Amino acid sequence: MPTLSQLQEQIDRLEGTQRRKLRTAPICDFIDKALPYNGLPLGCIHEVKSRDLASAIAFAALLSARIPATGSILYVAPDRSLYPPGLLPYGIRLEQWLHIFARQPDDLIWTVSEAIRCPQVNAVLAVMKKTDLALCRRLQLAAESSGATGFLLGNATSAPVASAITRWRISSVNGPAGRGFDEAFWELELSYCRGGRPGKWMVAWRNGRLEAFRFLSKVPIRPVRPNVFLPASAKAG
Amino acid sequence: MGRRMLCLYFPSLAMDRLQREDPTRKLRPFAVTREIKGQPCIDAVNLPASGAGIRPGVRLADARTVLPELDATPDDPIANARVKQRFIEWCGRYSPLVADDGFGGIVLDILGCAHLFGGEAAMLQDIQTRIRRSGYRLRGAIAGTLGAAWALARYGKRVIVTAEQLHDALDPLPINALRLPERIISELRRLGITSIAALRGIPRQSLATRYGSEIILRLDQAFGHAEEPIAPYRPPSPYRALRTLAEPVGTVSAVQYVLLDLLKEICARLEREHDGARRLNLDCYRVDGTAAKCCIGTSKPVRSVTHLMRLFSEKLDSLDAGFGIETLVLSVPNYDEFDPEQISFPQFDPDQGDTELDGFIDRLGMRLGFQSVCRFHIQESLLPECSVEFQPVTTAGIPHAIWPDYRVRPVCFIDPPARIEVPAGSSDTPPAQFQFGHRLHRIVRAEGPERLTTEWWRDESQPWESRDYYRVEDDRGDRFWIFQERHPTRWYLRGHFP
Repeated sequence: MPTLSQLQEQIDRLEGTQRRKLRTAPICDFIDKALPYNGLPLGCIHEVKSRDLASAIAFAALLSARIPATGSILYVAPDRSLYPPGLLPYGIRLEQWLHIFARQPDDLIWTVSEAIRCPQVNAVLAVMKKTDLALCRRLQLAAESSGATGFLLGNATSAPVASAITRWRISSVNGPAGRGFDEAFWELELSYCRGGRPGKWMVAWRNGRLEAFRFLSKVPIRPVRPNVFLPASAKAG
Repeated sequence: MGRRMLCLYFPSLAMDRLQREDPTRKLRPFAVTREIKGQPCIDAVNLPASGAGIRPGVRLADARTVLPELDATPDDPIANARVKQRFIEWCGRYSPLVADDGFGGIVLDILGCAHLFGGEAAMLQDIQTRIRRSGYRLRGAIAGTLGAAWALARYGKRVIVTAEQLHDALDPLPINALRLPERIISELRRLGITSIAALRGIPRQSLATRYGSEIILRLDQAFGHAEEPIAPYRPPSPYRALRTLAEPVGTVSAVQYVLLDLLKEICARLEREHDGARRLNLDCYRVDGTAAKCCIGTSKPVRSVTHLMRLFSEKLDSLDAGFGIETLVLSVPNYDEFDPEQISFPQFDPDQGDTELDGFIDRLGMRLGFQSVCRFHIQESLLPECSVEFQPVTTAGIPHAIWPDYRVRPVCFIDPPARIEVPAGSSDTPPAQFQFGHRLHRIVRAEGPERLTTEWWRDESQPWESRDYYRVEDDRGDRFWIFQERHPTRWYLRGHFP
C-alpha cells in the first residue's frame, strides 16, 4: 500500500516528531509494548509528577540512565534538596550528572532552554513550578533539534506541561511486607501519550529493574517489631 | 637608552576637588584647612579668598578675624588619593605604564605611545585639556628621565624637553626640583646654593661626604646617569589589545563590532603562543574621563573567538556607555597553557563536540555564578549532611568515596531538618504516627534505628550527640526519613524516599 505509507510519512512530517524513526529508551517489557514507540521516545519533553517529588526524580533518573549515549545529565532546580546517594540504587552514574542551582525563575527557564539546545546533553531534569504553552512548545522544538530529552518534574501543585509527549503520574504505594527501603513500589499512571493510549501499571523497582507486582492487600499489616539495624560505626562508637 | 617620561602635577588637587563637589564654593571665599599642632591652618585658598588677603599657612581663626564669612573645609587625603587613582586608571588609555610618582603626581612612560596621539606636544595637550575640562588644574611635562619630567612639571617653563636640551632646561631650576628632603634643601639654601646649576658646580665627592649619597642619586636620576624604574599601577597584561575610535560610540552593536576585532587579535596571539584565556577584562573609556569595566571568566582555557564573543555579549547588554565610549582595551589577566589540538574528522572522533558543552557551562557560570554549576562529590562521612558536597565545575575532580549498599538514603534531603509532632511516649521506638504541617501520617512500616553520632574531627559545634534515624512508610505509601534527638526528645523529618 504505497499511498497509505506516503500518507503516514506526510502526517509524520506535519507532526514533526517522526515518531516511527524516533530513538527510544527501554522502560520495561510490558510498558514498552503499550507505548506506540516501543519505548520512551528521546529528543522530546516528558512530564513526570508525583506527590512529593522524590518519586518523580527517581523515575526520571532511572529513565535517563537508560539513554544509550554518553552525554551529560543536567539537574536544574531552584534549591539544593537533591541527595544523589539516594539515586545510586536507580542505576545513575554520578560523574555524568551536573547540578545547576537557579533560584530565580527567569534564570531557571533560561538554563533549561539553553541546556536542551546543547547536543552534548543527554537529558535535562528540571523542577519547574510555572510553565506556559509557548515555553513548552519552544522546549519541545529545541529537544527535537538537539536530541536531548527533557523531564519536567513536578509535584501535585505544579502547573501542567502543555506540549509534553508523555505525562506520567507516579504514586508510591505500600509494598508487600518485609521489603526494604532501597526498593520502590509505584502505581505508574501514563495519563497522556501522543499517538498512544493512557495506561496504568503497578510496578516495583527491584534489583536494578522495573517489574510488575501484584497488589496483595490494601493495607499491609504493620510489623510488631521494627527490623533493628545498627551500622558498624554505631557499634564501635 | 632613550626613555620618554610624562609627568603630571596637580597644583591644587584638594581645592579643585572640593570646588567641583560644590560649584558655589568658587564664588565665595573658601579655604581648605589642615590641622597643624592641633589647630586648623589654611592649606589652600580660592581666588575670592586670596583677593581678600587670605594666604595659606595662617591659622583659620586668624583668617576668620580678617574675613568672617570665610568658608573652610578640612582636607581629606583619602578622597584626594581616590581622585588621583581615578586619573591613573584613566591615563591607561595613553600608555600601558602609568604610575603614582609618590609626590602627589602621575608619571607615564610614553616611549612608543606618543605618535598614536599625534606626537608628544599633541598628546600632552590632549591630556591637559581633558583633565582641565573636568575642573582640575594640571601641569605636565615630558623629558627623557622621570627626575627631569618631575622637576619641569613643577618648576619648569618649558614642558617638552629632548635629551639634548636637558641640561639647559634643568640648570636654572631651583634645587627643590630635585626631590630632596626638606633638611638638605634648607641647608643648601643657607649656603646660597639655590639652583641646580650651582649645585652641579660643586665637586660630587664633597657633596656626598657632607649630605650623603641621596643628593648624588637624585642628580644622576634627573640627568639620566642613574636608572629609575617606575612601578606601574597595574602590571600590564601580556595579552592586551587597544582600539581608539575616531568618534565615541554608544550602542551595544558598535561595541560588539570593536570587541570582535580585539578578540580576533588576542585569540590569534593566544593560538600562536599555545595559551588559552581564563579571564578577560574589557575596559571601556568614556569621553567624560570615566571608565566602564566588563569582565568574563571561563571554566577551561579558551581561545575560540565565537565562544568568548558569546560570553561577552551576555554581559554587554548591561554596559553603561554614558556619554559615549572612545577607547576600548581588552586584556587577559589570567591565562593557562592550552596546547594545540589535532583537527580530526567528526565522524572518527566522538569527543569532538565536547567543546560545545564547555561553552554552555561557561555561559551558565557567567549568568548564575560558577558556584551554582556543580558536580556531586561523595565524601568519606557517615553524617548525611556532610557526605555529599556540591563541587563547582571549575575545581578539579577528586575520586568519590565508596558508598556501601546498606546505607539507604532518601532522594530529597531536608536541610535544616523540619520539626514533626509525634505523640508522647514513643521514645527509642519508631512512632505510630507523626504530624507534619496539617497532615497526620499513620506509619505502617519502619526500619531502624540507625544511630549516627557526631564526628569528633569536625570542629563546627554540633549541639547534639547522636541521632537515631528511622525509615518509615505511611498508610498512603509515602516514605520518609525521620530521626529522633534525645535530651530533650525531639523528632525531625530529614528526607523523602521515592
